[in-house]
Amino acid sequence: MASNAQSKSEPSESERLKAEIAQLKEDLRREHDLYLRSAADFDNYRKRVERERVSAAHAGKRGLILALLDVMDDFDRALAHAGQEPEPVVEGLQAIYRRLTALLAAEGVTAFESVGQPFDPTLHEAVGSVESEEQESGAVHDELSRGYRWKEELLRPARVRVAR
Amino acid sequence: MAKAVGIDLGTTNSVVAVMEGGKPTVIVNHEGSRITPSVVAYTKTGEILVGQLAKRQAVLNPENTIYSSKRFIGRRYSEVQSEIKNVPYKVVAGPNDAVRFEIQGKQIAPEEVSAQVLRKLAGDAAKYLGEKVTDVIITVPAYFNDAQRQATKDAGKIAGLNVLRIINEPTAAALAYGLDKKTNETILVFDLGGGTFDVSILEVGDGVFEVKATSGDTHLGGDDFDKRIVDWLAEEFLRDQGIDLRKDRQALQRLTEAAEKAKIELSSVVETNVSLPFVTADASGPKHLEYKLTRAKFEQLTADLVERCAGPVKQALADAKLSERDIDEVVLVGGSTRTPAVQALARRMTGGKEPNQSVNPDEVVAIGAAIQAGVLAGEVKDVVLLDVTPLSLGIETLGGVMTKLIERNTTIPVRKMETFSTAEDNQTAVDVHALQGERELARDNRTLGHFRLEGIRPAPRGLPQVEVTFDIDANGILTVTARDKETNKEQKVTISGSTQLSKEEIDRMVTDAQSHAAEDRRRREEVEARNHADAIAYQVERQLQELGDRAPVNDKARAEQLVAEIRQLVKNNSSDIAKLRQLASDLQQLAYGLSSASYSQAAAGGAGSQAGPQTSSGGPGPSAGDDVIDAEFKQTK
Repeated sequence: MASNAQSKSEPSESERLKAEIAQLKEDLRREHDLYLRSAADFDNYRKRVERERVSAAHAGKRGLILALLDVMDDFDRALAHAGQEPEPVVEGLQAIYRRLTALLAAEGVTAFESVGQPFDPTLHEAVGSVESEEQESGAVHDELSRGYRWKEELLRPARVRVAR
Repeated sequence: MAKAVGIDLGTTNSVVAVMEGGKPTVIVNHEGSRITPSVVAYTKTGEILVGQLAKRQAVLNPENTIYSSKRFIGRRYSEVQSEIKNVPYKVVAGPNDAVRFEIQGKQIAPEEVSAQVLRKLAGDAAKYLGEKVTDVIITVPAYFNDAQRQATKDAGKIAGLNVLRIINEPTAAALAYGLDKKTNETILVFDLGGGTFDVSILEVGDGVFEVKATSGDTHLGGDDFDKRIVDWLAEEFLRDQGIDLRKDRQALQRLTEAAEKAKIELSSVVETNVSLPFVTADASGPKHLEYKLTRAKFEQLTADLVERCAGPVKQALADAKLSERDIDEVVLVGGSTRTPAVQALARRMTGGKEPNQSVNPDEVVAIGAAIQAGVLAGEVKDVVLLDVTPLSLGIETLGGVMTKLIERNTTIPVRKMETFSTAEDNQTAVDVHALQGERELARDNRTLGHFRLEGIRPAPRGLPQVEVTFDIDANGILTVTARDKETNKEQKVTISGSTQLSKEEIDRMVTDAQSHAAEDRRRREEVEARNHADAIAYQVERQLQELGDRAPVNDKARAEQLVAEIRQLVKNNSSDIAKLRQLASDLQQLAYGLSSASYSQAAAGGAGSQAGPQTSSGGPGPSAGDDVIDAEFKQTK
């Protein structure tokens, strides 16, 4: 019995080789799979890098424009204080403001009108609400800072007060 | 196979991340932001708004806009009395004393609110990945009890998600730094967010984290730091102008934003200007706010807030029965840990240990959750771990400079080939001296191996083309091969262990290179200036030889004089870069004149001159063949 079992468990040379071939085939399959995965990963990576290169440029520009809009707000506030018959200095400031506006417009950055529109959180950020005679309840009463679009996308919501 | 994402469901903000190509990536939401406010609004028209949109309408609809729902999830109504005072929406007791929000007459569970946030995050992730997202890992604070964890899991279920696991936020942060690979270490996670402060002490062994102690302050965070700046600015303005800006809602909002911006700036600079033109107006006209805030002043204003972080750290250490010396690793989480004073405190409280803070502290928890999600989804184990070359590899070229073929930190396996040439006429052998290191000059770097390629057919310098190949296999074994393109003669050397330097050795070599950078650059420029001048001198000499008597006498005499001057400088290893460049440029001008003279004279005879330089490093002329020759070998005898 014992010798019989032993002869069974002792594989012949060809069986051993078959097992080895099977093992090698399996190894090859695994390696090939790994290779394909890496190749696919790399291909995806390349595409993503390209995408990110475009969007990084976009995001960099966006950051700069957003910072510039703060200065535009300062202009808006400053010019709101100018009288009916502006002094030459104020007229000069207005000219600078127009230049800046034109420069941003050339990049596709434009302000949009909010006053009188119904409040919409996709365009407006509410800072408060006020009793209003001019506007219906739920409409934008006034802008504290203007909202801007960059081509189609919302660059910055308008800061508004809403009529109660 | 669907991707699994990791979600940091925060008290104020949430972040979602995913494993992509073996690396965790934070997903940008629909509005283009990497963080999503954990805010949900139920509008009068029956719409549900989540995130930024909900936040924008909050002041109009405070009783139906739920934020901080995390403070209520899985808790009993009787436990949350102190929280209820801080929120404008209505919190009531539901069945079994469970917390419910009362929205437009309906009772809504905190789980349902969190589910809205989770649904949005998973939806935005699906849009980003271009496939449905159902499997998620959600993080919770380490101190969350079973009820709170179960409720968070339920929130996932309500959102239609399959919650693979709920993991602790500090554990996720530690995972993001790969600390699960440490054996028997004690980790302190210091998490100072927008409105909460958590300290956790973890022990890691065999990839398993165990929470030893937690402590914290549920109402301490970055917002408190902002408020201190707002108050300081408002007080200063009140003193100078007699107007309290805090009473003007619009001014207060501008002030709050400016304060946060100043705080962020003071993490990297020691002084900043807060400037709010036309911040308000009175009868005398518009008023501007303009103050300088130094880091020292900011630290003075917030000293007590920073000090409040110390108590919980001590408490956690005491609860874990540990001293500060027992802490092996410190991990910083939350945007407020960017504040230098907070970092200093974290360092001081942990025996001066340098904290882990290279991962964005706002995103580190989500990133750790994504890594865990990747492991559970079987994605991470399939990733082949690729090694990099720790130092640059290259060869020595003319003038003793090192020409790099493979830059440091290049992922291996990698193979790079460049073509080189000879530096002297009739040079029949080149010495290939393989080097490793970051310094510009060969002698400052480490020699990996040397060999000589012989049997190059005698030719003018610059004509023979020797291809040098550096090939590093996946095991880091480097083979350097040099082959003469004309004769196909080849020599190679194999160097093992080029990537097996100790970390200290590598660091030393890199630091050395940095500290010598300026001086090395200067020396390299000298060598290049000499090589360049010498190459032109050589080229002009050949030109003169070929032209013979056809060269105009004046030009010839002048050229010979310049060549002699250059040769002298090169021989003496002159370091006068300006003079070398000047001479080279003068000679180059002359050479152009000579060649046009030769063309005009040779036109009749039809014998074109072939005196163009085969090019050298930094050489002026275009390369003759397809192969760019990058540098030249000097034959050493």
